[in-house]
Amino acid sequence: MLKLMRLELMKFKFGWYIKGAIITNIIMTPILCFVMYLEQQERDSMITMYQEAFVMIGAMVRATFIVFAAVLIAKIVIEEYKNKTILIMFSYPINRKKMIASKLLFIAALTFITMLVTNIIVAGSFTIINSYFPIVPFSITANQYFGEALKMIPYSIATAGISLIPLYFGMRKHSVPTTISSSLIVVMIACASNPAFSMVILFN
Amino acid sequence: MSYILKTNQLTKVFEGKEVVSGVNMHVKQGEIYGFLGPNGAGKTTIMKMITNLIKPTSGDIEIFGEKLTNTSYEVLKRIGTIIEYPIFYEKLTAKENLYLHCEYMGYYDKKSIDHALDLVKLHNVDDKKVKDFSLGMKQRLGIARAITTKPELLILDEPINGLDPIGIKELRELFKMLCKEYGITLLISSHILAEMEQMADTIGVIQNGKLIKEVSMKSINGEQTDYIEVTVQDIKKATYILDHELGLKNYKIISEQMIRIYEMTATQQEISKALIMKDIEIESINKKHSSLEEYFLNLMNGEGIHA
Repeated sequence: MLKLMRLELMKFKFGWYIKGAIITNIIMTPILCFVMYLEQQERDSMITMYQEAFVMIGAMVRATFIVFAAVLIAKIVIEEYKNKTILIMFSYPINRKKMIASKLLFIAALTFITMLVTNIIVAGSFTIINSYFPIVPFSITANQYFGEALKMIPYSIATAGISLIPLYFGMRKHSVPTTISSSLIVVMIACASNPAFSMVILFN
Repeated sequence: MSYILKTNQLTKVFEGKEVVSGVNMHVKQGEIYGFLGPNGAGKTTIMKMITNLIKPTSGDIEIFGEKLTNTSYEVLKRIGTIIEYPIFYEKLTAKENLYLHCEYMGYYDKKSIDHALDLVKLHNVDDKKVKDFSLGMKQRLGIARAITTKPELLILDEPINGLDPIGIKELRELFKMLCKEYGITLLISSHILAEMEQMADTIGVIQNGKLIKEVSMKSINGEQTDYIEVTVQDIKKATYILDHELGLKNYKIISEQMIRIYEMTATQQEISKALIMKDIEIESINKKHSSLEEYFLNLMNGEGIHA
């Protein structure tokens, strides 16, 4: 299984994914600060407690990486079917279920790791920035930060699972656009910012 | 005689239409088996069933003496294939493609990659991505991939498509060499008769999903007949002379002016002499032999009428 995943890694060259994740990290922090700042300018701000700030960071990160995962699915599953390279894969002496399972596991694992790392980095840099230039009317202590960081793990696992949903839609016609657009729908449902409908709240 | 590959009443139905029906083919160990048939006859479908890419509707396949089932993965280790047209990971180079192939196949002799590229005469392609390859180069790379792992059975679907004449010749030599020196059994499909004629030991003719005939080339060569074709003005007189003067019985009147003489007891000179002596004008007289092509065309046309 690990060997199969390693070969996938070799086959599809994931430089773009790493680059994308780094760029996401760099861009997300200033956007977050900006959104938080605007939020404070409104009279009835939603962000009054540090937990809410983390929920918001989590939602942003999740939304980004569900789409990232959809791109991964498109690249290493859908496109293999579309380009018929899956026929090569099927001519190998490897159990086909195991082969597909390793692909999906690979996507889920990669999504989980990058999501967790991004979450920790973005939340961490927000915490640090906030301590020097107060954006929100509360400060976040180190203990609170670590507590929230732990909470991110189950969320990330759940989201890694959710991020595989677009596969179902994409496989129907072996279509890359369908995969990506269905991931956007998944994002809208899973990361809705309206607290009443947000699945994030359900998890709590 | 041991068969490396045997199918028993192999049938495949696609959307209610029988694409392959009741095929019983026998491939002997160490031979080149030519799979001959027009486009859409079901060659590729049969090959896909053999490599376990699609499931037969009924009938079964026996390969290396074992029955092929849904989970026969180990058997694939011993087969090298190109099905339909060669497919690669286009963004990778030739060597990366072959390397991946070896890894997936569980074959760890990395020297064989260079050796295979050498065999198909694919040079100076180190940094080139496969998407920049021409069809002929891809075809060669496909064959290289199929032979890197030194399989026991090589299944090649239309391997000479898109190659130049020199390339075709080179590959023909290569196939023969693989068969002789490495003892690899080859199953090659083609719709080009002349090619098959020069390579195959056994030919299976397939049309409309049915295996019409399975013959060894040796026996066909024996069956090939020579004949003398005479075109004359007066056919009645001519046949009379053939019958009575030359004592020839085995001839056939093809048209109103043409006779084919299958009996080789009289030479061309004797026939023309006899005819001219009796004042019969000969328009042409030729010695011919019916080629393999004619043999197969007859076979296919005959079958066509039945179907």
